[in-house]
Amino acid sequence: MKHKLINYAVYCQYRAVTWMKIIPFVLRHGLYDTVRDLRRYPWLWAMLKVNRLLKKFGKGRTPRYQRASYILISGIVSGVIEMLGNYFFRPDRLIVHEDMIPPEIFKAMGLTTFMAELNGIMLPMIEPHAMEQYIDESENQGVPPDICSLPKSTMGLFLKGETPPAKAIVTSNLPCDAGMSSYTLIEQKLNLPTFRLDIPYHFKGDRALNYFAGELKRMISWLEENTPGKMDWDRLREICEERNRMAELEMELWDLARIRPAPIAGEAIWLSHMWYFNLMPGSPEATGIFRKILALGKQNLAEGVSAVKNEKYRALLWNPPLIHFIDLFNWAEDAYGVSLIMDSMSFNRLPFIDTTSQAAMLEGLGRIIMNGPMARHTRGPAENYMDDIFYIHKQFDLDMLWVAGHIGCKNTQALNGILREKCREAGLPLLIIDYDLSDPRIVPREGIISQIDHFMENIMKTKRLNQKAGSTGE
Amino acid sequence: MNNDKNFQPQFFEDLLAEPMNCLIETSAEQGKIPIGYTCSYVPDVLLSVDPLIPVRVRAPGVPGTEIADIYLSSVMCSYTRSVLEMAMDDRYQFLQGWVFAASCDHMRRLYDNMKYLNQPELIHILDVPHRQGDASLAWFTDELNLLVDRLSSHHPVRFTQDSLSRAITEHNEFFALLASIGELRKQKYPPLTGTEFQALTLASLVAPRQFMLPKLQAFKESLSGRNGISNFRARLLIVGGQMDNLGYIRTIESSGGLVVADHFCTGSIPGMTPISMNGDPIRDIAAHYLDRISCPRMMEAFDARVEEIMKSIEAYRVDGVVVEFIKFCDTWGIESGLLAGALRKKGIPVLCIEREYMLTGEGQIKTRIQAFFESMGK
Repeated sequence: MKHKLINYAVYCQYRAVTWMKIIPFVLRHGLYDTVRDLRRYPWLWAMLKVNRLLKKFGKGRTPRYQRASYILISGIVSGVIEMLGNYFFRPDRLIVHEDMIPPEIFKAMGLTTFMAELNGIMLPMIEPHAMEQYIDESENQGVPPDICSLPKSTMGLFLKGETPPAKAIVTSNLPCDAGMSSYTLIEQKLNLPTFRLDIPYHFKGDRALNYFAGELKRMISWLEENTPGKMDWDRLREICEERNRMAELEMELWDLARIRPAPIAGEAIWLSHMWYFNLMPGSPEATGIFRKILALGKQNLAEGVSAVKNEKYRALLWNPPLIHFIDLFNWAEDAYGVSLIMDSMSFNRLPFIDTTSQAAMLEGLGRIIMNGPMARHTRGPAENYMDDIFYIHKQFDLDMLWVAGHIGCKNTQALNGILREKCREAGLPLLIIDYDLSDPRIVPREGIISQIDHFMENIMKTKRLNQKAGSTGE
Repeated sequence: MNNDKNFQPQFFEDLLAEPMNCLIETSAEQGKIPIGYTCSYVPDVLLSVDPLIPVRVRAPGVPGTEIADIYLSSVMCSYTRSVLEMAMDDRYQFLQGWVFAASCDHMRRLYDNMKYLNQPELIHILDVPHRQGDASLAWFTDELNLLVDRLSSHHPVRFTQDSLSRAITEHNEFFALLASIGELRKQKYPPLTGTEFQALTLASLVAPRQFMLPKLQAFKESLSGRNGISNFRARLLIVGGQMDNLGYIRTIESSGGLVVADHFCTGSIPGMTPISMNGDPIRDIAAHYLDRISCPRMMEAFDARVEEIMKSIEAYRVDGVVVEFIKFCDTWGIESGLLAGALRKKGIPVLCIEREYMLTGEGQIKTRIQAFFESMGK
């Protein structure tokens, strides 16, 4: 009872903290403009409710683990507010960019960014059904239903004209055919100057590095010609150095996660990476968040406290997280004592950028982009996919692999057969969750829970820890 | 010029009935080495350097894809699934090597699964850039040099300036002949149907050209004695991805259409343009194949594709365009709607057909084609 009360008090504290970030934004924007933009961009309603994530991620968690999640959500709320500020207060420097191109260079050029896929990733986390209207819009305009629902969500957003006005588009051939091709539609719709980075499939070795560094130089020149942005190499160095500091902290966090039971887990690992490395790399605030999360993990370690109350199983999640059931692991911790230790979107082998020269920075960024999870695993050769899974399995002492089997991801669907056989050989229990990334109408929350129940009962031979949670997991 | 008095055009169709045909068999007996490839971005001319012979991999008569679906899943394009199914049924044993292109998600995963399941002695994947330009050309030239090294380390083939130049010359001569037959379709009353022409082009992709050349010459000569075809409702241009089943065009033509131009990757436009020779054969080949813009995998070339299609519409006096693509193809899936919109804006009637690799839903296709003609007032 006492724990529940403390848990609730911490929740209320962060709820208040996050509202104190959202309300000033509304006031700064002005009530009239806010109402106008809420009509113009209906998704803004959901985005401004970002602090609802607090409710999803903190439930029933141990105190420091709960606080780590809330520190992160509070940071994300700040990030969302900063991004909305960019859309509305600095539209003259706004560019649309694809999620596979990290924003370090754009930031160093003084540009503000609208990551086109962000709505499709963030909004279902806040409101699971948020993207359905955009998916429908795409399909109504002729995009085949079998296309991945993330690009369909993104295209729908542009087709509905619900994106802030921008100066240019920057995209690439990543992460998949659908993602790449969606920008043909977006370009046609917006009629804006568009730049496309070509990322090699054979991305290992100096030849690829030279080619791709050349692509980044071409991008910088193009941006200088087509936008108000100008490259500030000193600023880029600062960003990269700050990013390196954040990466160092993340590696320490991973070291903690390797310990059984893990003193830190879940969103504190995967969501922190997804948000800060993809959206806000190189900001001191981001580094600060990692530092705080790490400190909480270290305190847990010192006191021998496990993040997950009854850590029975340690899981690796492969593929992007189940965004419309984003509290899946909060549920799984409670239901089965499953602790999410590592995921494919966070894991990487080349975290640092050499900042000794301009060329070295471009090469460092190039390596990171080429080795990004969607480049390395989703599109890259099968060897990358398999080798990383089994490396992580050993390195993080894991008990099971959960594959978020998004029906629209053809690249990963086509590796499930090989993966099944490799997992059998390695003795790694494998659960492939059939679902759709952004569209809960395909497989709803209950359907996902039911697949997990079957797996845990039949393969892991275990029962729920909290039977009263019921079949819906609520 | 041609002594084969008994030659029948059915000969070309017969070559397409199985993955292996009699001409490949004869060539193999003569010491030639058949190398399979799966995409138009693989330079078949490199696979034509003696004693290699290129074979575009098809899966005619595939009974189903039950086993392939276990590995590739049922949401992949049915061309790749069909090829994997037949490979697992040992139907491509005659091939002495495979060359893939990392041209799309489906091809890349077909390569991964082939490598894992079939483990061919020679299997190679080319990284084809998604855009044109000097850096992309240099990259692709390097890729072709790597392929050349790989091929010559496995097989007794020498890629010299002379052998490459000879292969390019023969390639150009062969496709010039085929293109000249295709050009006849610009006539008001073309002497051949789209089905016949597709049989020629497909046979040319799967049979050794040394044997095909006299057959094509004989066929071309036979056309001079034919009356032009006039009993059609509309002249059609087909645009889309891999289509190596004669059944589709036959179905369209049986409904009253006449297919006069083909903008798909196993078709004639732009596949038959000659390779320019500027001194470095590998670079020339790389430039030629990289400049193909017919596939939406080339991410910057949408406007150029529309322009090329418009040129063909004019040159071949096209009444309507059929955009076809295999279900689950992401690039064509998105491109088809955009393309249809762009062409309709220019006043061109367009029909989009999503289909399977093997001929299915003939009745539906016929109904849609007939409705398309009616919508055009034909």
